[in-house]
Amino acid sequence: MIITKSFVYEPGEHEAEKASNSYLMSLIALIAGLPLPIVNLFATLFFYIGNRKGSFFVRWHCTQALLSQLSMLIMNSFGFWWTISIIFTEETLSNRFIAYIITVFLFNLTEFIATIYTAINTRKGLHVEWWFYGNLTNLICKD
Amino acid sequence: MDSQKVDMFIMSNGKFFESHQVMQIRERLIELDDSKWGIIQTMQFKDPTVSIIVSLLAGTLGIDRFIIGDTGLGIGKLLTCGGLGVWAIIDWFLIMGATREKNYEKLQQVL
Repeated sequence: MIITKSFVYEPGEHEAEKASNSYLMSLIALIAGLPLPIVNLFATLFFYIGNRKGSFFVRWHCTQALLSQLSMLIMNSFGFWWTISIIFTEETLSNRFIAYIITVFLFNLTEFIATIYTAINTRKGLHVEWWFYGNLTNLICKD
Repeated sequence: MDSQKVDMFIMSNGKFFESHQVMQIRERLIELDDSKWGIIQTMQFKDPTVSIIVSLLAGTLGIDRFIIGDTGLGIGKLLTCGGLGVWAIIDWFLIMGATREKNYEKLQQVL
């Protein structure tokens, strides 16, 4: 699911650091922004905007981080508001809700592990592409 | 310019620039006229380590942005209390790179 590929050029020390930071920051923002599911997306988005003039390697990894956070936002927001509606309205706890929450939890856990793994490897200057997101980023981010 | 002078400049000021820019700076300096050596030698650059410390301590007040010369962003950060904390967190990761970029821009005005 996670493939380490060779990049078109050898990224420098500071480039690798910035690329790694784009993943790390989404984690820290996630912890700071709990339970709201949108804060980490904002953080990655602003980091992307801050680095839009950066080198290709940095932009590529910022885009991948942004895309992954975007799909997290859709899944987490739905779960968040469903939970709120159960607490505050007549909506009752159902099997469907529990199944959805388990799915969201597993998805978040996978994403969390993948993000940490990618942050570590990008820091070493390795180019890590995720399944689906990597291809999508290749289409969006051009040199 | 004499390559020995350039290497001396790179050795003492290399930490103020992005690592992938250093070689480019070196080449540009070697091509540069000797008369500009005085200006380049006396240029003052902002230290990325200082800006990260300021960002950690007073990031929500935007002081880090003021220090590197982004007054507009600094005021924005000050008025929004560091973008409700989120911007301040983002800047912990961005500020060192931003400082190095500013230093590079400053040097480019002379080159």
